[in-house]
Amino acid sequence: MLDDYLKANLANWDEAVSLHVGAEMYDVEGFKKGRCSLSAIEVDELGPSVREGTTLLHLQCHFGLDTLSWARQGATVTGIDFSGEGVATARSLAEELGLSQRATFVQSDVYHLPEVLDGRFDVVFTSWGVLLWLGDLERWAQVIAHFLKPGGVFYIAEFHPYAFLLADDSTRDSLRIGYPYFMHGEPQRFDEPGDYADPEATLRHTVTFEWNHGFAEVIDPLLREGLRLDFLHEFPYTPEGLPFPFLEVCADGLQRVKGHHEDFPLSFSLKMTKER
Amino acid sequence: MTDPIPAEARATNLRLWNAWTRVHEKSAFYDVEGFRAGATSLWPLELEELGPLVHEGTTLLHLQCHFGLDTPSWARRGADVVGLDLSDEAVALARRLADEVGLSRRAEFVCADLYDADAHLGDRLFDIVFVSWGAIEWLPDLERWAGIVARHLTLGGTFYLAEIHPFAGGLDEVPGEHDVRVKYHLLPAPDHPDVEPIEGSYADRSADTTGLVAYGWAHSFAEIIGALTGAGLRVEHLHEFPTSPAPFWDWMVRDEARWWWLPDGEGGLRKDLPLSFSLCATKPAG
Repeated sequence: MLDDYLKANLANWDEAVSLHVGAEMYDVEGFKKGRCSLSAIEVDELGPSVREGTTLLHLQCHFGLDTLSWARQGATVTGIDFSGEGVATARSLAEELGLSQRATFVQSDVYHLPEVLDGRFDVVFTSWGVLLWLGDLERWAQVIAHFLKPGGVFYIAEFHPYAFLLADDSTRDSLRIGYPYFMHGEPQRFDEPGDYADPEATLRHTVTFEWNHGFAEVIDPLLREGLRLDFLHEFPYTPEGLPFPFLEVCADGLQRVKGHHEDFPLSFSLKMTKER
Repeated sequence: MTDPIPAEARATNLRLWNAWTRVHEKSAFYDVEGFRAGATSLWPLELEELGPLVHEGTTLLHLQCHFGLDTPSWARRGADVVGLDLSDEAVALARRLADEVGLSRRAEFVCADLYDADAHLGDRLFDIVFVSWGAIEWLPDLERWAGIVARHLTLGGTFYLAEIHPFAGGLDEVPGEHDVRVKYHLLPAPDHPDVEPIEGSYADRSADTTGLVAYGWAHSFAEIIGALTGAGLRVEHLHEFPTSPAPFWDWMVRDEARWWWLPDGEGGLRKDLPLSFSLCATKPAG
């Protein structure tokens, strides 16, 4: 079953890559001129762990803008994504920007990565809209632990599990629940023609399968792999676009829940260390 | 150090807990008669997750112990326990009950506000610090709380917390429906306590509590975990559950294991929302 979900999601992502390369949200032209695609959250929190020569593995890297942004900060990076389109685009961007010496891209889903990639890394990084594509966080955590050197750091910046709970017709005065926090393994099926980066687009592969994951489901498997929890942070905003009608973009460019700018968390970050 | 709880909030909450102690002693929820007859007041959850660490002679500190049924329940399993609570009436009842069931030699009770614990406990250390069900909502400052926990743990000691989920703390019922929506803060707001008039008690919704008010504070996982790691503790597990040990609203449904659920509107139980969690952390030995 997991493979069927993966297949549907892959068709959707393969199709989305060319759309995203041209999308305003990803601003590839700006990136080529030197814009960093990372948000202030990752730069502030993980930046100090990334120096010249730091080896960084980026899981679910899409077409590699964030991977290459870490390379520009001196890291030697490996980006992996299950979409061949994503990986091909990432490679040609790296080439064009003269970063291919320090940026490698591998096509693989997270679960099978140990079969196709060798090596251990100082940092394993993943961010923004990755967990919802994963049905098995036990295996995900095992892969992370596998690729970390002793003393290595795992870092994730991601949408908050609460961000996915609210009903589409929620208003500032009535934040109703429309979606689950616990999914008990079974994904939700969505069939939507648009795309988060381009709502006007008409995709051909419109069916996706997505999971919401509670904090325990994310954190506990990593603890069981022996990683030490360094910090968990929550933010009442997100730097990335979520296509929900009860959100608004504020003057600082960050998205918040209408009428709940300070008290409803939309993002979290988590840093953990492999001690042995 | 300044008192993290405003004087008015401290006095108001003390008045409430003294009144609730009188209600709870007679409530079916607490089942004091069953406890006297030998039943444990602990939930299978705590017994399963913390029980294996409690042996003959294990020292255990129970913070915010109310009138102490859980405290002597750990003593019955062999632990030497100290319960601490702000309510003088609760502590008096706890001492009386421990005496009645012959546990007063291994169950000691201290009447003190949580934030005054250091002054009462001195440099005493415990193998386990235990906190459960509806405790941290009464605390505005979790850093000070975590500091107290860490200071009274032995090296290698374990902190165990079973609590109402931060998400559940932000929920309110939808008027006229057996459904919930987010109403309160889901992120900490230490300077903005929820000040709510009390209608009954979680243990007896029909109790007369006219004129009583509660000051409570919202918390989040980042805040709870950050306070504990900041105090030098290491998080060992985090578990979440769609159940609560007490009903938040009178339309919630109780299962055979005594857990309370949100109904799904079709005769079943809602398994999609988190209502409680447990967290275990240790004080590293080296």
